[in-house]
Amino acid sequence: MKVLAYIEVKEGKAINGSLEILTPAAALGEATAVMVGTGLDEAAAQVAAYGVPVTLVETEAASCDELTAALQAQIAAVDPDVVLMSGTQTAKDLAPRLAARLNTGCVTDATVVEVVDGAVAYTRPAFGGTVLEHLTMGSARPQFATLRSGSYSKPEQGAAAAVTKTSVEIPSDAIRAKLVEVTKDISEAVNLEGADVIVTAGRGMGSAEELHLVNELAELLGAEIGATRPVIEEGWMSRAHQVGQSGKIVAPKLYIACGVSGAMQHISGAMGSKYIVAISKDESAPIFEYANVGIVGDVKVILPLLIEEIRKLK
Amino acid sequence: MDILVCVKQVPDDFVEVHLDPATQAPATAEIERVANAFDTYAVELAVRYCEANGGTVTAACIGPETAKNALKNLIAVGVNKAYLFNAEDLAAGDDGAKAGYLAQVVKTCEEKSGVHFGLVLCGKESTDEIRGQVGAMLAEKMGLPFVSSVIEVAPNGDGLIAKQETEDGIATYETASPAVYTIAKPGYDPRYPSIKSKMAARKAEIPVLTAADAGLSAVESVVTCTSYTEPPKREAGLLIQEKVAADAVAKAMAVMKQDNAL
Amino acid sequence: MSYILSEESRDLLQDVRNFCQNELKEQVKEYDESGEWPRELYEKAIEMQLHMLDVPEQFGGLGLDRITCAALIEQIAIADAGMAVTLSGNGLALKPVLISGNDEQKKKCCDIIINGGFGCFALTEPNAGSDPAGGKTTAVRDGNDYILNGRKCFITSAEVADFFVVTATTNKELGGTKGMSAFLVYKGTPGLSVGNHEKKMGIRTSITSDVVLDDVRVPAENMIGAENTGFITAMKTLDLARINCAVVATGVAQRCIDEAVEYGRQRKQFGKPILANQALAFKVADMRIRTEASRSLIAQALNTADAGLPFSDLGSCAKAFAGDAVQQNAIDAVQILGGYGFSREYPVEKLYRDAKIFSIFEGTNEIQRVVISRSTIGKL
Repeated sequence: MKVLAYIEVKEGKAINGSLEILTPAAALGEATAVMVGTGLDEAAAQVAAYGVPVTLVETEAASCDELTAALQAQIAAVDPDVVLMSGTQTAKDLAPRLAARLNTGCVTDATVVEVVDGAVAYTRPAFGGTVLEHLTMGSARPQFATLRSGSYSKPEQGAAAAVTKTSVEIPSDAIRAKLVEVTKDISEAVNLEGADVIVTAGRGMGSAEELHLVNELAELLGAEIGATRPVIEEGWMSRAHQVGQSGKIVAPKLYIACGVSGAMQHISGAMGSKYIVAISKDESAPIFEYANVGIVGDVKVILPLLIEEIRKLK
Repeated sequence: MDILVCVKQVPDDFVEVHLDPATQAPATAEIERVANAFDTYAVELAVRYCEANGGTVTAACIGPETAKNALKNLIAVGVNKAYLFNAEDLAAGDDGAKAGYLAQVVKTCEEKSGVHFGLVLCGKESTDEIRGQVGAMLAEKMGLPFVSSVIEVAPNGDGLIAKQETEDGIATYETASPAVYTIAKPGYDPRYPSIKSKMAARKAEIPVLTAADAGLSAVESVVTCTSYTEPPKREAGLLIQEKVAADAVAKAMAVMKQDNAL
Repeated sequence: MSYILSEESRDLLQDVRNFCQNELKEQVKEYDESGEWPRELYEKAIEMQLHMLDVPEQFGGLGLDRITCAALIEQIAIADAGMAVTLSGNGLALKPVLISGNDEQKKKCCDIIINGGFGCFALTEPNAGSDPAGGKTTAVRDGNDYILNGRKCFITSAEVADFFVVTATTNKELGGTKGMSAFLVYKGTPGLSVGNHEKKMGIRTSITSDVVLDDVRVPAENMIGAENTGFITAMKTLDLARINCAVVATGVAQRCIDEAVEYGRQRKQFGKPILANQALAFKVADMRIRTEASRSLIAQALNTADAGLPFSDLGSCAKAFAGDAVQQNAIDAVQILGGYGFSREYPVEKLYRDAKIFSIFEGTNEIQRVVISRSTIGKL
């Protein structure tokens, strides 16, 4: 089975989620990777180090239309059975568009891709994560899937594979949505998906002024800072910090939820965490049903004490 | 400009969905149906666009007869006309099939109302299965420009300017009209209907069309669901409730150390 | 757990419930704390047209029946009593105009309200509360005008009102009941001023102030109804307003149930939810009985009014009963929440403060019993 993995790059490096998809790609069969853009030599070498041959399409492709066209050309060249992408915002546009264009199918947000009885089987959470759908696309080719980050670990690095360079001519009529401006209104780098420890603030923190407690704990633990939707909507933090269905899906080793009640929307994004600690004054908060350790109490009282205790450990 | 918004009814996403023990399918029948949140954002954005620039907003829904009330509720918040496509098999297919049907639905709505839509909007995803691909697929099937996660639309000569919410900011796109956009949460909330508009909307006629009425031809599905399961439930751990906060923290620290969590 | 409503009204009720739960219930907390008038919340409620339930259809109103209006106001009161008092207070100001005014006056006042303005009803005076006939405000004829002098107090929404319905003695010889007239005074009339607003125990999202009339010149055509009929107009106004007061009280009573049940189902002591104890469960039952009985009395009074029959004493029954019921419900809710009931962090403490007003305003519950006993016993 031929599997094509589309690798996305951010700030010159392949993103973690893209490296993770190399694992199921290799498990399914003969995996190759494709990257699109210029100045990606280093990133391509980084991917090839995992033993997967890389095709580097050296074409300037900033917009979704250009990427779609570039990938369409590469798919035509490789003729894969399965195309895997990490479930980024870009990939969630690319995969369904290519699937529709090629009259085939697409599964988004898969957590498992495996071969069952000779066919590729996809598992994806639905209804906020309380139900898993098991899907197949039969004999349709190629099959498209985006994977939820954190579903697989990056593969072991092996003997470096080859990087092949190519380029495609993107016809001007392929660009129907012209990208005219990109503004970054969130400058902070928040790497929730790659974090080992996340400290998350919920509405129970009470106000933006109280967030210094969360910052302090995060700094102590070398953690990234997460937030629930209400905290974002209150404007206490930028949406780069949002964990949950409409934010990032995370899978750290330790997740500390401070003043988070645990709406399904939020829990579904944090359920992959290995160890969950929750602090809430509401003893019936749903988050406690998922927490390894739950503390019933006021975060404003508990957090300073917890910070003090952890500081003693360090 | 005349805008079509594709809307869908979903089980209230505040209610947890589990599998029916007998059928092993998601037990959603008893859960109240609500308008998909992102679709209501799309409606509000469309209504605001037309209030500022002129035009009409039409809503189209594939769904059961009971979705009629939901469409009336949209008329109460500014939608001018609504069509309900009532056919079980239309809703049963995969997202590619749904997009295929919607492409035909757009044409049917244009024929019935005698307007050409300059913009077709979908919510960026529905809150039930959260697949988020129908909008992108619809754009492909219709061969129209596409921008996802749009939070602002403005006229731009004969075309449109769309602001897309990205992970760390805003990307601005120019497209021709007609186009297909999916809508994320803009910086405002959908309006509530005033009592008067609500009462007037209750009297609105909602044409209900079957697949045959609308002359829709069948679209094959590619993705099929073989089964449903529930993820293994996380075991709830220790819940610490102490009168003195320091005792609670000490207890929690002991457990976390023991579990090597720190 | 509501009145018997048509499908259309139930549909409306659902919208209004959603609005009140999502846009008012949590948002009023900070205003309750600060005492600031929640202008932005009122603007949202006005957009939904919850401020014009009393405007008749012929003057641009919504055309809803009285029971539906009661059900909608109850929903506002469930979210916040003060806002329910203010929004339905527009009705209180409009009622004397609708009862005794001419079409021109009706149209003018209805237009003010439809366009998002407020009205207030200025009857009470520092020395004339339960005995409004003892009012000292006077109106003296001067050519085509009347000149008003006096001081009113505890006037809901006076500070934000665009029109004031003011009662004043026009004939001292005839005395308070027979020599009183009602006038429409518009905001900005020279001599009309509004004092500082009261710092209240409850319903803090409503605004309550003194109104001072210092040689306020009002054209004679602003008189509502005939000269010296003001007292009758005021009493007829209060007959209806009382029922509304019961409606708001019932909303607060219902909120007491909602909060007590939500907390009592979750709070575990001795290994089970506290509402598994009959001592507390029966408290909830009694809260429910009082609330449903309040609604029944309200419906009875409204239906009687609709039938064109005398309803004054039934309105008093509803007001007195619901006004007592809400206080007992608040006491019970605080008791069920225990220490948390006493804490400002939890919502029932506010309900306890809000509940008290219902045995005081729009005729104390003692005055209601005077009305009820007189109509039951007859002249002795």
